[in-house]
Amino acid sequence: MIFEERQIEKNNFSSRAIFLFAIVGVSFLAVLFQVFALQVSSYTSYELAALNNKNYAIPIQPLRGEILDRKGRAIVRNEPTFDLITQPDLITQPELFLGLIKPVIYLSEAEEDRYLKKFKEKAFVNKELVLKKNLTPEEIARFNVRSFNFENAFIGKRHRRISDYPQIFAHVLGYTSRSNNQHDLSMEIPRSHWVDAELTYANGLIQGKTGLEETYNQHLSGTHGTRVHEINSRGRLVKTLEYYPPKKGLDLHTHLDIKAQISAANALGDRKGAVVAIDLKSGGINVLYSAPTYSVNKLSNGMSVEEFQDLIKDPDKPFFNRALQGRYPPASTIKPAIGMFGLTNKFINWSEEIDDPGFFTLPENGRIYRGWKKGGHNNVNLKKALMVSSNTYFFKLAYQSDMKDLASYFSSLGFGSSVCRDCYDEDSVFVPSPEWKYKNFNVPWFTGDTVNIGVGQGYLVATPMQLANYISILANKGNLPEPALVKVEKQSLDSNKSQKISLSNQDWVKMHDALTAVIESDFGTARSIRNLKDFQVAGKSGTAELVSLDSKEAYLEVRDTELLRDHSIIVAFGPMPNPQYAVSVVIENGESGGAVAGPVAIEVLKSLLNE
Amino acid sequence: MSNRSAKIYFDPYLFFSLFTLSVLGLFFLYSASNADTSIVLKQSVYIFLGFAIMIAVSQADPDVFRRTSLVFIIFSVLLLGITFLFGPEINGAQRWVRLGPFSFQSSELLKLALPIFLANFLFDKRLPIQSREIVISLAVIFIAFILVARQPDLGTGLIVALSGLFVLFLSGLSWSFMGGAFIVLIICSPLIWNVLLQPFQQQRIATLFNPESDPFGAGWNIIQSKIAIGSGGIFGKGFGEGSQTQLNFLPETKTDFIFSVIGEEFGFFGVVILLSIYFFVLMRCLYLALNARDRFCRLVIGGLTLTFAANLIINLCMVVGLLPVVGMPLPFISRGGSSLISLFFAFGIITSMGTHKKFLPQ
Repeated sequence: MIFEERQIEKNNFSSRAIFLFAIVGVSFLAVLFQVFALQVSSYTSYELAALNNKNYAIPIQPLRGEILDRKGRAIVRNEPTFDLITQPDLITQPELFLGLIKPVIYLSEAEEDRYLKKFKEKAFVNKELVLKKNLTPEEIARFNVRSFNFENAFIGKRHRRISDYPQIFAHVLGYTSRSNNQHDLSMEIPRSHWVDAELTYANGLIQGKTGLEETYNQHLSGTHGTRVHEINSRGRLVKTLEYYPPKKGLDLHTHLDIKAQISAANALGDRKGAVVAIDLKSGGINVLYSAPTYSVNKLSNGMSVEEFQDLIKDPDKPFFNRALQGRYPPASTIKPAIGMFGLTNKFINWSEEIDDPGFFTLPENGRIYRGWKKGGHNNVNLKKALMVSSNTYFFKLAYQSDMKDLASYFSSLGFGSSVCRDCYDEDSVFVPSPEWKYKNFNVPWFTGDTVNIGVGQGYLVATPMQLANYISILANKGNLPEPALVKVEKQSLDSNKSQKISLSNQDWVKMHDALTAVIESDFGTARSIRNLKDFQVAGKSGTAELVSLDSKEAYLEVRDTELLRDHSIIVAFGPMPNPQYAVSVVIENGESGGAVAGPVAIEVLKSLLNE
Repeated sequence: MSNRSAKIYFDPYLFFSLFTLSVLGLFFLYSASNADTSIVLKQSVYIFLGFAIMIAVSQADPDVFRRTSLVFIIFSVLLLGITFLFGPEINGAQRWVRLGPFSFQSSELLKLALPIFLANFLFDKRLPIQSREIVISLAVIFIAFILVARQPDLGTGLIVALSGLFVLFLSGLSWSFMGGAFIVLIICSPLIWNVLLQPFQQQRIATLFNPESDPFGAGWNIIQSKIAIGSGGIFGKGFGEGSQTQLNFLPETKTDFIFSVIGEEFGFFGVVILLSIYFFVLMRCLYLALNARDRFCRLVIGGLTLTFAANLIINLCMVVGLLPVVGMPLPFISRGGSSLISLFFAFGIITSMGTHKKFLPQ
């Protein structure tokens, strides 16, 4: 090539090389611009993304509060239990490890299988795995002396929710169980992390399912702690970055009384029924017992399927809370209410007497309504009618009443509504009325229906809780703080107190006097229990008929079948004349009210007064 | 004459900037490999070997490369053939050939052989280049591309093709021809997409534009890389402190994504310094090319440097999310013997071409 041509070539090369290098330079700038955009402009969001990648927050389960009785004695507490926990990450051969640990800790085949099944996954992410729950003291001792052999395992403390009175408080306490949606969403912990929660309870993330455990779950639960782990891309825990301890739940101070509840249970024995006792000053519920019952400890901490099925299929329905959900005709225990209604509406007064021939004839159709005593009680006034439990008196009084007015009077006594502030799943039942009957049966109300209600039969039914509430209002002369299981602050007590019904003080005194005579006088229907105590008690017993029969002879035939026998009921309060407690007792198929349910009520009152 | 034989051909600017890059690379690799000293040790052996090769190669006269260019390219192609026939299959691709104790990625050689061969073929042709030369050159480039792309290794195949095209362009390919080719390429692009690209390659391109569409699949790498770089901020998280790197959220930290490690641990500051060194190397090479003794040397230096630049830019653009994910190491920093040795070899040739001056008749 000649020189000139070479120079042209060189210039040509130079311009093309510079052109390409300029493209390279522009590319560099593009990269630099992008890096600037990532590292400076969007730094905050990428920094957050990096933190979200590596920070793995898990909740730490708090201890639940204890449930205490009115004297501060624990009804439910947290009992430590010890589990053998392993670190699969440090175990190279799980089969070999099981072989080593088996002489120390007893393992069932199922436990081994479960362990081996979960082993790999937990080892992969460096998480703990429970090998055996609830170690015996011997196993703990054996493990502790050999623990130097097992650097990959340790004994971890967990808790169980335990009541020392698992049977008698089963219904009121309710049970706790593992919950799949026990996620405190107020915490900044993603839902998916909850499976890795650090557990305080052997049963996992537990939650109250029924009873006080459910109603006051929030109060008892406490606050979860948080541990922020650093994890790698495989989800493996590397180290702890932050730790916030959990806060134990608050203890629950209830009005319940362990001793009174025990005496109620003992007095009831193996009979079916319910007992409710109320502290008249505070409205606090001291006793809430239903029989038959079951062990709440077993239900909370693992019950076999067979055992559970047996309880479900039991014809006596042990899970059924009779105190709050059992519907019973109040029978003669309603008579004081009918009497007060009559006084309020001036249908009757204390001195006016009527003749009781032993039955009442409905003027409209001549139908006969019988009393419990053949031949009747001759001349009866209100006091005598209550004392000897004259049906005729109250048939007649009910006959004079307008059902609408009577129904609203019942409502003001708490019938037809939930009366307890914090009871779990209380049945409000209903108050019968012409509208109610037409809606449910599509038949009009008959005068005879009202007459039946005068003696607490017919359509009128109530729960033991409602009966206790009603007798407490009566005992407190018309006012009562809202019944509740759990104590509240003093200030709010007074605002709770409200006048349910009003009567002149003279009438109240006479009413208390008449009801005291039911038990304490020689002619009272419940006089059989008057010698069981050394204080005076007022009350009214009742016998709720399950089958309506016209004669005593007919009843003697049906009583052979236990389930058709009458329910025995009593409502009582004492000590008179300044009552402190009221109680209602229902014993299913217990027959005569005063003699059967009466002693139970007395035992409970005695127990409450001895505290 | 004795004066000439004692001379050592050596470019201090290139030497020291590459030395700095390599040493920095060892630190980065130490962090990227979660403090695995054996990896760093192995890499430093390769670097030492690389410098030795570079110095040795730069002593040879450019004419040596010119005369052996045909042999060199035939040898490279044969090596590719051997890989194709006997090479072990790793991750569904045959890219490696074993030479005694060493494994060598055979396509690396072709990146060197092709531009030298084309430079030799074109350096004495008259300007502008005739269509006969263009056709022959393009045919050679196409064959080289197909050989590598079939491994399959589309990324390296494109780099090999680029290495040839750079030389063709620098030697004076007419602008009108390139304009025509560009239009044809645009028209054919749907065909390329559908016929030439495999589904996973299409996926990678699709992922680039919307990585969040597949956050746990193909998009994972891009997302994690961006998080790593972005969370580094201006000054970085510190050496060995990058959570994305140390906790393995970032994939391929020792190879393709080592730039993200640097971005995370040393921040924008570190990135600017690193890019400055690379840019300095490129500018020095441009200077050497412009002042080389003849057209052959110019073409070779230009071709090799631009190939190096393309390699670098593709890697950078990939990790910052400007290009789809293709397997492409960061030169002088990423772990890997083959790429290091061939890089030092290339810079040896560049040094040789840039430092040997022609005797001027006295």
